Amino acid sequence: MIALLGPFVSPYPARSYQPLYEGAAGQSPSWKHPFGVEDSGIDVFSEVINGTKNDLYVGLVASLLTTIIGIALGAVGGYFRGLISDLILGITQVFFVIPVLLLILLFARVFEILVFKGLGLTLIVLILAFFGWSSVAFIVRGETLRVREMEFVQAARSLGAGSSRILFRHIVPNILSPLIVITTLNIAGFILTEVVVSFLGFGDPNTTTWGLLLNEGFALIRTEWWVSLFPGLAVVFCVLGFNLMGDGLSDALNPRLRE
Amino acid sequence: MTEKLLDISELRTYFFTEAGVVRAVDGISVDVDAGETIGLVGESGSGKSVTAQSALRIVPKPGRIVAGSIKFEGEDLLAKSEDEMRKLRGPKMAVVFQDPTTSLNPVYTVEKQLTDILMLHRDLAKAEASQRALYLLELVGISEPEKRLKAYPHELSGGMKQRVAIARALSCEPTLLFADEPTTNLDVTIQAQVLELLKKLQKDLKMTMVMITHDMGIIADMTRRVTVLYAGKVMEVADTAAIFNAPMHPYTEALLKAVPSVKQTRVLEVIPGNIPNLIEPPTGCVFHPRCKYAKDICVKEEPRLEKAEEGHQVACHLWRELKLEAKAS
Repeated sequence: MIALLGPFVSPYPARSYQPLYEGAAGQSPSWKHPFGVEDSGIDVFSEVINGTKNDLYVGLVASLLTTIIGIALGAVGGYFRGLISDLILGITQVFFVIPVLLLILLFARVFEILVFKGLGLTLIVLILAFFGWSSVAFIVRGETLRVREMEFVQAARSLGAGSSRILFRHIVPNILSPLIVITTLNIAGFILTEVVVSFLGFGDPNTTTWGLLLNEGFALIRTEWWVSLFPGLAVVFCVLGFNLMGDGLSDALNPRLRE
Repeated sequence: MTEKLLDISELRTYFFTEAGVVRAVDGISVDVDAGETIGLVGESGSGKSVTAQSALRIVPKPGRIVAGSIKFEGEDLLAKSEDEMRKLRGPKMAVVFQDPTTSLNPVYTVEKQLTDILMLHRDLAKAEASQRALYLLELVGISEPEKRLKAYPHELSGGMKQRVAIARALSCEPTLLFADEPTTNLDVTIQAQVLELLKKLQKDLKMTMVMITHDMGIIADMTRRVTVLYAGKVMEVADTAAIFNAPMHPYTEALLKAVPSVKQTRVLEVIPGNIPNLIEPPTGCVFHPRCKYAKDICVKEEPRLEKAEEGHQVACHLWRELKLEAKAS
């Protein structure tokens, strides 16, 4: 049930917030404020919506980048045998054990000292992507190992297909479902990481994100509960939405279940 | 004598596994004349499929062709680059695989699987390729071909899938077709249909066919000449009629006795034991541990493939002495 509803529920943060955002941008802050107003006079509703854009940016772009890196390294490492494959596996394992969150915090600290500035969003995205691709690579590698032993791969080879053709036209399309699931799950995961980073105050204070709002709200939690509650709910729904979407997509894209 | 289309001699293809070197093909020689259908017969693991894979140079790693020569249309295939080989696979040589449920890519429609190859090898435009795909489906006797073009493999029955796989193998009109146990995974009635189809196509398209199977019935039905393989070695080569009427190798005899027959009421004989470990094959004749006629010499010395009669070769020390039972048919 939930899996079926997934695709309908999940576009919600992506689609229906956006037009509201355009409408709300023209309004003066603190005129109509369904989510309340911060001490400083910032409208929480529009800030939550504002943050959606930035958090989605982090989640989507970082996840896309990790998927690209993951496919490239995982597929090549899984398809070919020998030194290259072992080397890629080794690198993947090293990256797998790196605690990304701690690393970002470390980077942020260093960055702050060097440039007196919090980490910008794009930098967070790049760090997430650079250190977060290993789970995708593992899955792609494992699936490639499984699929490349299947007879149609040999059939393709016996009909004159070259390695890259086999890899990208025959193997990768066959591993799409797990790939899509991990990609959407990653989106949720990366958004969470970003929230944690800015909640802890390591983000850029000039870019609205849900984490930043939570950070601001945390100080006021006893008097102005709404400042923390609504960004928090946004995070919950967004992450839940992407998780459901991953499920829904994997069902929808499986050719065996189609029709 | 007609020109040899494919001439494999003293081929050795080994698999370098962690447990040791598996001698999957250990000095096999096979030749095929243009236009004929020959059979490669043997149990699982006798090296039939690896021989075919070697001819196309698609032996999966860690396998490697370590020795021998493979000549196709007079050209040495082992000297060719991977790029040159790729141009041969499809237009010159093609394979029909054993299991049609896995030999078709599940994520593409029938049309896409067929047009893909045509666009790759023949530079056809998409519309032309689709036309030809339709023609190919008709050729292999698929009903409602327009509808089937749009179908995914899982929507087709086993026999239909195998027909699609055959259509795919034939798409670029190969000169030589390897049929690697094409009917093993099909039920009996479909088997007969598919064999009939292959026979007809072979005649109509003047193809040369190498029939790989463990089923002596298929051999009798389809082939003119047979090479009997065991444990990566050639046991006996002869015309199909001679193999059935006057087998000279004990292994061939055993294979024939293991075939059920409607007319006979005798107990089906099983070949005792299993195919040997190919990492450390038995000394002497590879078949001696399972051979009921085995003598001392069979353990000590490996028999060579000798010419017993015109067109009949056998690798057995005892072929002169043995009076083997032909299959009573």
